[in-house]
Amino acid sequence: MALIAILAIPLLAALLGWVPPLRRVAWGITVASTSTVFALAAYVSAEVIANKRVIGAPGWFEADGLSALMLVLVSFVVALASVFAGGYMRHGEHQASRLWWFYSNYNLLAFALLAVPSLAESNLVWVAVELITLFSVLLVGFDNTAGALEAAWKFAVLTMMGAPIALFGFFTLFWAYHSATGGSWETWEGLRTAASSMDPNLLKLSFLLVFVGFGAKSGLAPMHTWLPDAHSQAPTPVCAVLSGVKTTVPLYVILRFLSIVLASPVARLGNWMIVLGLISVGIAAFLLLQVRDYKRMFAYSTVEHMGVILIAAGMATQASDFGAVSQMLNHAITKSLCFYVAGVILLILGTREIQSVRGLFRTSPFAGSMLVLCSLAIAGAPPFPIFLSEFSILSAGMRAGQYTVVAILATLIVIAFVAIMLHVNGMVFGKPAAPRLTEALPASCRFAVLVAAAPVVLLGVYIPAPVHNLLQLAAQQLGGR
Amino acid sequence: MPTSTPEALNTLSAGLILISAFAMVATRQVQGVVRFFVIQSLLLAASSFLLGYGRNSVHLWALGAITIAAKVVTIPWVLRRLLPGEFYERREISQAVNIPSSLLLALLLTVAAEFLTGPLAMAARDPVVRVNLPIGLAGVLIGAYSLIARREAIPQLIGILAMENGAFFAGIAIAPELPLIAELAVALDVILIAVVVGLLTRNIRQTIGTTEAGALSELKEDPAAWL
Amino acid sequence: MIETITYNTFQILFVMAFAPLYAGVLSRLKEMVQSKRGPSIFQPYRDIWKLFHKDEVVSEETTWIFRVTPYLAFVMPVFVTMLIPVLTDYPLAFAFMGDMLAGGFFLGLAGFFAALAAVDTGNPYGPMGASRTRMVGFLAEPVFMIVFFTVSFVAQSTIPYIVQQRWVASVAAFFSPAHILLLIAFLMLILAEGGKIPVDNPSGHFELAMIDESKGLEFSGRGAALMKWGGQMKFLVLTCIFLNVLVAPWGLAHGQLIGDVLAAVPLILCKVFLFVLVLVAIESSLAKLRLFRISEFLGAAFVISVAAMVTSIFPGA
Repeated sequence: MALIAILAIPLLAALLGWVPPLRRVAWGITVASTSTVFALAAYVSAEVIANKRVIGAPGWFEADGLSALMLVLVSFVVALASVFAGGYMRHGEHQASRLWWFYSNYNLLAFALLAVPSLAESNLVWVAVELITLFSVLLVGFDNTAGALEAAWKFAVLTMMGAPIALFGFFTLFWAYHSATGGSWETWEGLRTAASSMDPNLLKLSFLLVFVGFGAKSGLAPMHTWLPDAHSQAPTPVCAVLSGVKTTVPLYVILRFLSIVLASPVARLGNWMIVLGLISVGIAAFLLLQVRDYKRMFAYSTVEHMGVILIAAGMATQASDFGAVSQMLNHAITKSLCFYVAGVILLILGTREIQSVRGLFRTSPFAGSMLVLCSLAIAGAPPFPIFLSEFSILSAGMRAGQYTVVAILATLIVIAFVAIMLHVNGMVFGKPAAPRLTEALPASCRFAVLVAAAPVVLLGVYIPAPVHNLLQLAAQQLGGR
Repeated sequence: MPTSTPEALNTLSAGLILISAFAMVATRQVQGVVRFFVIQSLLLAASSFLLGYGRNSVHLWALGAITIAAKVVTIPWVLRRLLPGEFYERREISQAVNIPSSLLLALLLTVAAEFLTGPLAMAARDPVVRVNLPIGLAGVLIGAYSLIARREAIPQLIGILAMENGAFFAGIAIAPELPLIAELAVALDVILIAVVVGLLTRNIRQTIGTTEAGALSELKEDPAAWL
Repeated sequence: MIETITYNTFQILFVMAFAPLYAGVLSRLKEMVQSKRGPSIFQPYRDIWKLFHKDEVVSEETTWIFRVTPYLAFVMPVFVTMLIPVLTDYPLAFAFMGDMLAGGFFLGLAGFFAALAAVDTGNPYGPMGASRTRMVGFLAEPVFMIVFFTVSFVAQSTIPYIVQQRWVASVAAFFSPAHILLLIAFLMLILAEGGKIPVDNPSGHFELAMIDESKGLEFSGRGAALMKWGGQMKFLVLTCIFLNVLVAPWGLAHGQLIGDVLAAVPLILCKVFLFVLVLVAIESSLAKLRLFRISEFLGAAFVISVAAMVTSIFPGA
């Protein structure tokens, strides 16, 4: 029941936003709906921890550990981003009369994002992923500037190109499933149990196709070229959602496929995933060195972290699976914080260039300190959560004997760290430029930043038991146990 | 070798689908691209009806009807409504590769598709799979190529939709029992894709003045800047 | 034995007799589609008759090539007629004299000499047209070859009669993607070789734009008559190959009696007439291509024929 409510509420909010008298309170409706959804997601995860799975409608909507984790992190980021959006959109260069369209779209995007983990039928998942792409394209191009439209166009074409390929992969999977079991309604659970009787060639082919098709949507190199553009040109709350969760969700689908493939005695795909993940991390690390726009900087760091998750999943040990899911969680909360801070800086200074931002600490101590905090967090410094998850991935790799992989990955992470800190250093210290915003920062923005920073600070030192249990459950699902 | 009449006619439409994919690559006019796409969708629907008749599968009949409703009727209508007529009057689409070379590349992609699906098709017991799978994959690859090579908005969109046609053509052979909900959802999704891209194109045209994708190149990194 | 030789002769007479009628019906229908009255369908006969009774004027600068070419252009299609199924579906006396490749070479020989003759005269329009014809020809050659190879590969033989029996035999082979693709490629080829729209305008009089018509420019009297008639026979021969081997391998005489063969004549004429209707539709609805677009047209034909080969070779269709 809760699962169905999780999906119905954003839809309702989107529809309500269209009604003319309610358009002015579109923001309020959005915040209310997303916070309710977060509460429901937390409730669902508690139930999953207790009962191993939650069934909304059998065969249609089901949630196990991995889905519950995704639901929690998606709803958290979406809720906070909507809070942030209130203040940001009002002060930015956006027409007030179009804002209801923004919020309506936002709710539809939230619906699609939440639908992917809650759906049990794998083919409908494809449709949900496509809906995510569609709604994000509309949001990215919201600003109607030349840069935004170009970013939206590249985004649309590159990600939609992967869709039919992934569809082909889903059809192949269905073929394998149908010839093995004769059934036609494939839930993830059903697929996993049937995996050992399915034709291994077909499984491999379908995984490959889905990987190529959805990999573009997750920003895996070499299909990542749309990511920096889209994630820097979109309005900041949208960027937070895009970087934080929208790239993770297709990766979740790929990981589901991986767990099915691993359940059948085929798996030599692990090595391919590790290599491709390393390529992503490598490309991102080097591009980080010469980026000129701080939102693009955060976007490249998303590419890097997606690569890390892929490597961890490819290593396919129990410890690395735990590392992968905790990386997914930590990246979501940290990256969204980074983008909130970036939005704050944009409001204050009005420019996206790194070179033009100097002496941020003196202009606005709040923004400066938050920037230092979030960049340390995203680069992987202790005592922040990403350090913990990356460290656990590296140590899992050492234990599994993948010494070269660990060495290369560690080097690349260090390079990325240095690049980010170099840029941020220049931004925070030095002589300040004149601020553009003379009034105080909108309260909702401050609030959002602080609330987002809280888990980042907390999870670095102490993981509460429910969170830990959820992560463990998710890791088990990933590994196919 | 296909043995019954519906299956034989299905192979006929398979050959024609391949030709319409080549035609989409070879044509110069925007109108032409849209028309060949409509023809390809009609052939896909016809194939679906034939296989549905041959196997007494209601699913396939429904899929054919959905294809006609979505791709033959709705999408051209949506595009017409969203985009002003001047988009369609373009008679010379700029493209990265000239037409004879494009055709040769499309041919190579067909050969590649046959190679890739060869072992799978041989292992399949169903003769329809042996025809549909390679040509479906060829349709996907040729659609992807036309997406890359063309530089105008509408042909790129049609490229995406043509890739879906290819995937579906393979799908009706290898996944005929796919739940109807999934197929309905996919059809709706396809329509939404057309709507979104149409809106985007219109906005781009209004803001930037041209939809030549080669003209959109503001956002780039300079890889040597940090050296 | 005697019968097969008789039927072979009968075939040749059939082609010789009906080729001008074919051209006449085609031009009359094209004109009717354009709401004109058009010439009588027997006009080509009258033209040939008239030309035979005129004097020949031959330039002093020409060599033996110019004098030999009309005869070659007339005789080569006759040779090819002996090789292909026109009226019967079992091989006749001279059927094994040469296979499809030989047929292609015969027609190519005629075209080669025609191009040389055009250059021979020294008239400026001759070489221009000849070079264009050669361009179309050399682009069309690979398509011919691939089509023949594919058809031979599928039928496991290069003799047209045996190929035709293979296609007739199974409905499945008839509907394979390879077959459809071959049909379309060969149709594009016939349009190119026969000098029809969209490659060339057969009713144009403007020498600067002529491609295929230019080869007959310099001839007069008997030479002109033979060139004209030979051209019409070549087109009928190509059509017969297309229809009897590829498209509709039915309606040919199966038995060995003279009655069967005679009965096949109206059936063939019917098939040819249906093809004329298709041709009129194509010619009336398309425009002539610009010269350098012809390479794209023939490139498309090449690609389609190779695709046909690919789909028939790979274990699939």
